[in-house]
Amino acid sequence: MEVDRELLEHMANPHNYGLLEDADGIGIGENPQNGEKVIVYLKIEEEEGKSPKIEQIRFQAIACMTTVVAGSIITHEAEGIDFETAEDLVAVTLGMLENVPPEEAACSEMVAVALKAAMDSCIERKEHPERPAVVYKIEQSCTPQPVPNPLETSKEQSS
Amino acid sequence: MKELLITTHELWLETLMASFMARQTENKRTLDEFSDILWRHFTWIEHELIERGIEYDYNRNTIPIKVERLSVIVADIVRRMNEMEMRLIQCDDAALRDRIRTDLEYMRFALGKLPDEPVEAFSMKRRYREIDLGKEATDALTLFLFEESYKEYELIMIYNYLKAHSDDAFLIRVFQILIDESFFHLRSFCEMMAEMGILGVPRVIHESLYKVSDIEKFLLDGIEEEIAAKDQCRELSAAVASESEELAKFFDFINYQENYHIELMREAAAHYAESRRDG
Repeated sequence: MEVDRELLEHMANPHNYGLLEDADGIGIGENPQNGEKVIVYLKIEEEEGKSPKIEQIRFQAIACMTTVVAGSIITHEAEGIDFETAEDLVAVTLGMLENVPPEEAACSEMVAVALKAAMDSCIERKEHPERPAVVYKIEQSCTPQPVPNPLETSKEQSS
Repeated sequence: MKELLITTHELWLETLMASFMARQTENKRTLDEFSDILWRHFTWIEHELIERGIEYDYNRNTIPIKVERLSVIVADIVRRMNEMEMRLIQCDDAALRDRIRTDLEYMRFALGKLPDEPVEAFSMKRRYREIDLGKEATDALTLFLFEESYKEYELIMIYNYLKAHSDDAFLIRVFQILIDESFFHLRSFCEMMAEMGILGVPRVIHESLYKVSDIEKFLLDGIEEEIAAKDQCRELSAAVASESEELAKFFDFINYQENYHIELMREAAAHYAESRRDG
């Protein structure tokens, strides 16, 4: 992963990281291979005849830093948009991952499916408030990659 | 009481982060010592919660620390200390309440005397001392430090939770050693981050990580992670040997420390399994 200033900001101060008390919906995106997961919490605003709007969004990740960065970017995009637009955001994100190596795609996929699961959880809980979080498993395979060796890279460059 | 724990958790972390930002030796020493005291307060308050049978977790708010001058973060630490003092009313143990109150009183006084200094910990210069690394290497080192600083914070909190809920002297001893070791690693990595201008507060950890149902499995999984960390350190050391003796020796040093962690975790897992068998 190439690190620029913007990415560093997401790493040091991820947007929307944490728990949302009294969430209207909770969704989990899970990697069945290694147990990594992303949890998305939503608080929504509803208006008669309109698609629900994401009023507040938070996420937590039991995963690597790449997933945290993806969570920061995607939840920032999702803040304040309605479910229809958020569905598009999920679809666009998943579409973009088609040409990305699986181990890299898995991180963003976990966030996207967790967002989708959280929206579905909001809808389910309207009828059944006691329902637990909705869990979706990701399709990409992600074997945890060893952290790249910075100093070895440096050595290769200098030789 | 739960609010008191959260306030103390946030105050401890902010003070610890401020100690990494400080460059002047006396400021660094003072902030570091105060963060140690606040950590002890945190564990004592946690003990009170357990004694009173109150459910709690390690959730907290995010802590903004990006400042240009040390005096700004010190002022915020004092603000949080005032908040903590107000919440002390939730603490039933009079001796503990008085101890924390008098500590806070002195720490606020001492913080008021700290000389100000500029903060470079967020400059994003991404250069460690005089060691010259290329772009790819710097990116990878950056990722490594973010991942590992979070990991060490996570380990401190997990082992602390397990220790707080254990009544087995052997396990308590092992958990305390692992907490102390992770504190040292967290300090080392965060000092490097501050030097490189990329200091960040480790993110909040999810409660499923420390509210562990199978301690033996947790320890055995942890050994795998320690072995992976050892490999990483060995590779780092070998690769850097020709460029930086300082970094090579540092990563060897961390690598050798992991051997002892692995052995302790093996012993703890065996001890736990044995005591479970004995009922």
